[in-house]
Amino acid sequence: MASVEIIDVRKSYGDQEVIHGVSIPISNGEFVALVGPSGCGKSTLLRMIAGLEDITAGNIRIGDKVVNALPPKDRDIAMVFQNYALYPHKTVAENMGFALKLRKTPKAEIEGRVKKAAEILDLVPYLNRYPRQLSGGQRQRVAMGRAIVRAPQVFLFDEPLSNLDAKLRVQMRAEIKELHQRLKTTTVYVTHDQVEAMTMADRIVVLHDGIVEQMGSPLDLYDRPANLFVAGFIGSPAMNMFKGTIRATGAPHFETADGTRLPLAAVPPGLDGRAAVYGIRPEHLSLGGELKAQVTVIEPTGAETQVIARLAGEKIIGVFRERVSVKPGEMIAMSPDLKLVHLFDAKTGLRLG
Amino acid sequence: MPRTLNRILIYTALIVWTIIALFPIFWTFSTTFKVAKDVQLGHIIPWVDFKPAWLGLRAIGLSPDTIFTESTPRTEFIKRFWNSIQASIGASILALILGSAAAYGLSRFQYKWKIWKNRDISFFFLSQLILPPVVLAMPFLVLYKELALLDSMIGLILIYTLSVLPIVIWIMKDQFDTIPQELEQAALVDGCSIWGAFFRIILPIAMPGMVAAFILSVILCWNEYFFAALLTSSYAKTLPVMVASQTGSQGISWWSMAALSSAAILPLIIIGIFLERYIVKGLTTGSVK
Ligand SMILES: Nc1ncnc2c1ncn2[C@@H]1O[C@H](COP(=O)(O)OP(=O)(O)O)[C@@H](O)[C@H]1O
Ligand SMILES: [Mg+2]
Repeated sequence: MASVEIIDVRKSYGDQEVIHGVSIPISNGEFVALVGPSGCGKSTLLRMIAGLEDITAGNIRIGDKVVNALPPKDRDIAMVFQNYALYPHKTVAENMGFALKLRKTPKAEIEGRVKKAAEILDLVPYLNRYPRQLSGGQRQRVAMGRAIVRAPQVFLFDEPLSNLDAKLRVQMRAEIKELHQRLKTTTVYVTHDQVEAMTMADRIVVLHDGIVEQMGSPLDLYDRPANLFVAGFIGSPAMNMFKGTIRATGAPHFETADGTRLPLAAVPPGLDGRAAVYGIRPEHLSLGGELKAQVTVIEPTGAETQVIARLAGEKIIGVFRERVSVKPGEMIAMSPDLKLVHLFDAKTGLRLG
Repeated sequence: MPRTLNRILIYTALIVWTIIALFPIFWTFSTTFKVAKDVQLGHIIPWVDFKPAWLGLRAIGLSPDTIFTESTPRTEFIKRFWNSIQASIGASILALILGSAAAYGLSRFQYKWKIWKNRDISFFFLSQLILPPVVLAMPFLVLYKELALLDSMIGLILIYTLSVLPIVIWIMKDQFDTIPQELEQAALVDGCSIWGAFFRIILPIAMPGMVAAFILSVILCWNEYFFAALLTSSYAKTLPVMVASQTGSQGISWWSMAALSSAAILPLIIIGIFLERYIVKGLTTGSVK
């Protein structure tokens, strides 16, 4: 196990820079998720940690060593790829033992360690099969097995679950988390799925267009998104947002372009009249109150009801524990939990207050 | 029973096609045993149309009555046969080594030479197939003369390597392109060097394609006539050239030509029967499922 430190790292392909100075400290044993939309540079960053891409500028440290110039084989890391990258001409056992074999580990020890990993991952009956004879979920496990038999300093995962169906994904999510709790190996986990990041990680790094938008624990990011991008990216369904102006005259409120008034608990000092964005999460709306919205779609799931409606010319989504009897086209009344309203600067997108 | 009828039709068609396909081979083999008169009269079926004679095999010293005696034609034939084997196997091995390396490079690394990128380089290799070999006749004659490679086995192997290289590169690049790059990357992370990843992971996976490319280039070299006729004479002459030289001043000695032709097509038939499925497998299936 080791800490990983990414220090002001940049990456260019030709004259196009895709990672613009990223710094991420990762402590020993931590599970960090790199999350962001497709194309934001997550894989590139991960592959630079692995040594599969050159680092254009900056440093990457694993343990107390700067590894910029080290080839992947000398970094003592293991990586799980999105398409698993199992060796098709080797059996499951050979796939899992390959790294140990390259390190000239005695045969008996390889067998023992492969067996142990196979037991952890329920792969014992498949050890002599070839990858093509396995299901997607089993292949995924073999890829994990290949990583864990080595007991490396760091695990790197690049969207390991995105080729699995939804049910298996949820199951593997829990298994990977459990595995991390058992092994306590420093882990960097790349995903575009914020739910995966939220449920698995100790800490989340939100990447966007090659820069870090915010770093923090899952609940930090949920409770205090630093900017509009993070606010919109973390949470499902996404946060409702309205453009307008903060008003302190009379009762503090937020006024949208068409004059709709959205309630505020208080106006932070110096923000009266500021052009801003008002954000409220769907689950922080409750039924009844001063906001009247016209319902377009109602989606009951049993446990809760999701209402999609229009307010101030924008879409607004509310998620309620109660059952809702309103029909599409009718008006619904709702109100935001004032403590949980977010305000962002309209120009910079940064959090206000 | 339309099913049965269907079957009968299909099998009839297949049988007719088989006869059409096999007839030239049958004709070549049977002509080995014909005298000049039988050839001229177009006799086809042995024992019915004509009485088989050992004429053809005697001409190359392989008939029962000549096989244990000293025979100059036989020595000559074996020498040519051996030359053909050396030239085609040697060139194919060389082309496979060079071609696989080139194809792997083109598939995995980005090159830039002046305005040429990978695509242009690949096309340059493939475009060599468009050039008619005749264009190269004079230059190679002059070149080989200067290099003292005329009528040498090495010279022949080199030109054959050159002529099958585009096909080998083409097949192998296709092969490597179907192997996801993540496999090498996984191998690098697992502890291989770049060469280690190539030899331990990529080569075994690309093996069906390599076998196919090898067999194909053996066949092409084995059949090659033009350069062999042009660049070799008494020492490095190959079997196809010997076959062609059977048209002597006393007319064509059909039987000996047929005997030599039979010997020349025999290896190809063996390849066809036993190795064809490797070619198909290597050229059709992607290497990784
Ligand atoms: N080999 C490459 N050459 C040029 N551009 C690349 C290369 N690999 C990735 N990129 C670019 O870098 C950016 C980040 O890619 P990537 O790290 O794969 O994104 P992510 O994994 O977050 O979806 C993308 O805009 C992509 O087009
Ligand atoms: Mg990616």
